[in-house]
Order: sequence, then structure tokens, then C-alpha cells
Amino acid sequence: MRKLFFVIERDLRMFVQYKFLIIMRAIWFVSQVAFFGLIASRMVVPQLADIYFEYYVAGVVVMMLYSASVFIGYDIFEEAEHGVFEYLLSLPVSRKELVLGRSIGGGIRSFILVGPLIAITLFIIGLANPVNFLIAFFSLFLFAFGVSGMSITIAVGLKSADRFDILMGVLNAFIIRLSTTMYPQVFVQEANLAYAKVSEFNPVTFASDLFRWGVGIERYFTMTPMPLAAIIGLVIFFAIFTFVGITIYERRLEGGGWR
Amino acid sequence: MAVIRTIDLTKRFKDLVAVDHLNLDIEEGEIFGLLGPNGAGKTTTVLMLSTVIKPTGGTAVVGEYDIGKSPDDVRKLIGICFQEPKLLWVSTPWDVLNWHAKVCGLSTQERKKRVKQVLEDVNMWEHRRKNVHGLSGGMRKRVEIAKILIQRPKIAFIDEPTAQIDVVGKHKIWNMIQELREEGTTIILATNELHEADILSDRVGIMHKGKLLICDTPKTLKDSILGGDLVEIRLEKEATQDAFDELKSFHEVVDVVTVKPTNLKVHLNKVEEIVPKIMELFMKRNLPVTSISMSEPSLDDVFVHYTGLTIEEAQRKSP
Ligand SMILES: Nc1ncnc2c1ncn2[C@@H]1O[C@H](COP(=O)(O)OP(=O)(O)OP(=O)(O)O)[C@@H](O)[C@H]1O
Ligand SMILES: [Mg+2]
Repeated sequence: MRKLFFVIERDLRMFVQYKFLIIMRAIWFVSQVAFFGLIASRMVVPQLADIYFEYYVAGVVVMMLYSASVFIGYDIFEEAEHGVFEYLLSLPVSRKELVLGRSIGGGIRSFILVGPLIAITLFIIGLANPVNFLIAFFSLFLFAFGVSGMSITIAVGLKSADRFDILMGVLNAFIIRLSTTMYPQVFVQEANLAYAKVSEFNPVTFASDLFRWGVGIERYFTMTPMPLAAIIGLVIFFAIFTFVGITIYERRLEGGGWR
Repeated sequence: MAVIRTIDLTKRFKDLVAVDHLNLDIEEGEIFGLLGPNGAGKTTTVLMLSTVIKPTGGTAVVGEYDIGKSPDDVRKLIGICFQEPKLLWVSTPWDVLNWHAKVCGLSTQERKKRVKQVLEDVNMWEHRRKNVHGLSGGMRKRVEIAKILIQRPKIAFIDEPTAQIDVVGKHKIWNMIQELREEGTTIILATNELHEADILSDRVGIMHKGKLLICDTPKTLKDSILGGDLVEIRLEKEATQDAFDELKSFHEVVDVVTVKPTNLKVHLNKVEEIVPKIMELFMKRNLPVTSISMSEPSLDDVFVHYTGLTIEEAQRKSP
């Protein structure tokens, strides 16, 4: 258990070094809210404009969380380049601790970034029910751990920084667009039933809906019963990628290191 | 008792057999020098024994654990100093070593003490707060070796510890490796520097193209090459044919090379016994000797003898 903590600690320490990234991401968030959110909500029928704005702000938080959690995959390539990968594999830490530790570390990192933005969101939307909020907040951790695990799994599976970058771009387009981050499920359903199916079983949808439930935007829920279904969805998502991650890690790396 | 035993340990990378049915015993508490030209398979062997990569055939027992079946237990016994320093690019030497010590299970007090001590020992204390990125190659290597000196594992794999390190630093590191052994660590030293292997190792094994060619104490290996001793003689006058023939007739003499008519190189055995006889031979013929120099065989000669490569060829990067 202590080892797990050290693995997490290392990833956190590393993250604080990325000052440029952190600042740029914060600017990205502010501009999404201040420009896109404010302008796009004018396109909605006037009496729903404020609601859509809140809906959208909550969605952007989850988008941020997603992209910040993916970031650990890029670290893996840096590490491979510097050979740190082999070093980690030689330490008295089990593969499970290593993958789990890094998923958790990667997830917590994104909270360092997104935490203050959540505070801003609460300021904008207000807080209806603190207990709900706490449940949602902790569920978002699971989401972040799962996304980090997914990113690690894909990075290690591909072993190519270029392909990883391209694939993550495409995956981002699918997983974010076909979710309820930016529009409620009813509209996805109206557009296309297949889209609706993907969106319904998408961890990004679970996370977005949970967060909205937590901050008390009670409209347009996708899942019932809330919040249980979404939490279960996130637990499954996290478990799958931790498990697949450990397996891929062992298979892909120990065969011959990174090359 | 063997603390490491490899059983037909093999690693294949596609068409290339990097390590080929390696059978090797390493005794507890010894410094074992693993020698071989570039690409011989030394690093690959070390990485398999430390469970970083998996063998494609055979296995090995490290401590009492099989590397395939209980890799987690194996990793609790070992430490590696990698050939290429593996340091986190955003850290400082102090952070790197402190984290390493934590993961290896040192208590807080022990950790603080040892990290400081070892950083001083490898002359990196004043650079401890510099970014690893900005360190020179030799400095990074010092940090790399410091990991193992702090960790003091039961079994240490040290891959080319002094490549890129200056002469003073080399001697310091050699001393520290010996101290580590005195504290009970078994050391596997993979190196290209035969002199280093010679002074540190209790036994050496020479690998070539993935195979173990020979394995014994440096002394036995040196004695095993016929004509391993070399005597270089300079004469005042040109050597006569009959002097030359008589020299060749000693049965300890393996070969006589005429560098110049006044300069002979003699490959022979048992140098201590035969040098007086050689002196006498030339005196008798009134051919005064201006100088005579002797050298014992080095591991270089052993290496050349068994691999069939010159040192220069061996150190050229493998294809
Ligand atoms: N991950 C890998 N994939 C493919 N080939 C590899 C890999 N690692 C090593 N090799 C090859 O295996 C052979 C043995 O390499 P290894 O690094 O073990 O040699 P070495 O004895 O340590 O050499 P050096 O003295 O240069 O360090 C080389 O031909 C090398 O190219
Ligand atoms: Mg090597």
C-alpha cells in the first residue's frame, strides 16, 4: 500500500512541473465558458438560455477532467524516451501497484487542475444539496482514474507517440461528442438512435450527468435511477481499464522493453 | 551457494538471438564480471534477471525465486544501475534518489542519512538541486550508480558503472563497489572495461553473440592462454640467426616477432623463469641487451584470445 502511495506521489510531483500546461488549460476553460458558453446559449430559446449556460459550464468541467486525465499517456512516451520506463519496471513494486498507482496519480493530477474550476462552477451555478455534491465529486475521481487508466493502456498498447496523439484526437471527438457533455440526451436521441445508444453507455455521460445532479441542475437526466446507475457505470469503467491496463502493461512491455 | 542460476536462459528478438542458452551460476557474495563485445547480450541478460524483460526460453533462479513465476519477489532482492542513466527529466538528483530510497523501503531517517552520504561520495552534493536535464553525461551516471549505493540490495546488477566517468571518479566508484560487496551484496558487473573487471571481479564470464564462451577467475583465465606473457627485448646490435633460433628452441617460447632486427617481441609462458636464460643467451653471443621489458597477460589478451576479436573491434558499436 505504501508503494502505491509513492507511485502516486511521483506522478503528482511531475505534474506540478508542467506550469505552462496548467496555465494554458485554465485559459482554455475560461474562454470556453466566457466565449462559447455565453454566445452559444443565445441560440437556445430565450427562457432556457440561462439553464443551457449552466448545463454547458458543468459539461466543460467534465471535458477538462477528461483531457487532463488523458495527459498521463503523453508522460509515458516521455518516460519511454528517457528510459524511465525500464527503471520503473525494475523497482520492488508490483505491476498492479504500478498501473493502479499511475491511474490514480493521473486522476488526482487532473483534479489539481480542475478543482479550482469546479469552485468557479459552483460559484456560477450555486450549490443546492451538499451531500449530492460530495457524492458526485467523489464519483468524478473514479471517472478521472478510469480515463487515466485508459490513456495508459492505449499508450502502452500503441507504443507510438504519433499514433497515440492521432488516436486520442479521434477518440476525443467520439467520446465527447457522443455524450451529454454539451447537449442533453433527448437531443442526441432525436438526431440519431445509434448515437443515443453510444451516449447512453458512455463514461463521459455518466460523469457529466452525475456532476449536474451533484450541483442540482435537475433537468434532462439521461440515466435512471440517478445517481446509482451512473456511479455503477463509472466503477465498471475504472475496473475495466485498470484490469486491461495491468494485462497490457505486462504483455507489451516485458517482452522486450519499450522498443 | 549459487545466488543466481540461469538455466538455458534465452532471449530472441525476432531473428536475433541476443542471449542464447545461457547457463551460469553466480555465487553469493561475489563480484561477477560479465564481459563481452558490444551486442554480446550482457544488458539483455541483466534485464531478464531483473524481470524487466521476459526471456523467450529457459529461466533463471534469483535468490530462491524463479524469474518467471515470482517476479515480484525477485524484484525485492535486486537493484540495477542501468547502462544508460534512467532519470526523470523534470527532477533533481536529490528528488530522484530520495524517491528511489522511499520505494526501496528505507525508513525516513535512514533515507535522509544515506541520500546525503552517497551524494557526497559520488561528488554530486553540490549539484543536488540542479535539474537532471542540465547535468553532464558523467554526472547523470553518478546519480544512476548512487541509486544502488543507497539501496544496498542483496543482489546488484551494475551495467557499465564507469562509462563516461573521469579517472578520479572511476577509482572512487570502484572502491564503493567493493565496499558494497563487503557489506554482503552480490554484484553482477557488466562491463566493456577489462581492466575494471580484472581488478574488481572474483570471477568473470565472457559472452559473445549471446553465448557464454568461458567463465573462471581472472587469474586462471590469464594463465590459460599459452604464450600469454610478453617480453620485449632491445639489442645494441642486430640479432644473429643462430641467436634467434636458439631463442625459439626454448619450449616456453611460443612465438618470436622481429619488430626490427634490434627489437624482438617474444610471446612466452613462465616469464620469471625464462628471462634469465634469455639474458644469458644474448650475453654468450656478445649481443648486449639495452633494455628488456615484461608484461603479464591482461584480460584484454584473454578477451582477444576467446572472442577472436581485437579490443578495437569489440568496442566498435555492434551492427
Ligand atoms: N529491445 C530490443 N529489441 C531488439 N533487439 C534488441 C533489443 N535489446 C537488445 N537488442 C539486441 O540484442 C543484442 C544484445 O544487446 P545487449 O544490449 O544485450 O548487448 P550488450 O552486451 O549489453 O552490449 P553493449 O556492450 O553495447 O552494452 C544486440 O544485437 C541488440 O541490438
Ligand atoms: Mg550493454
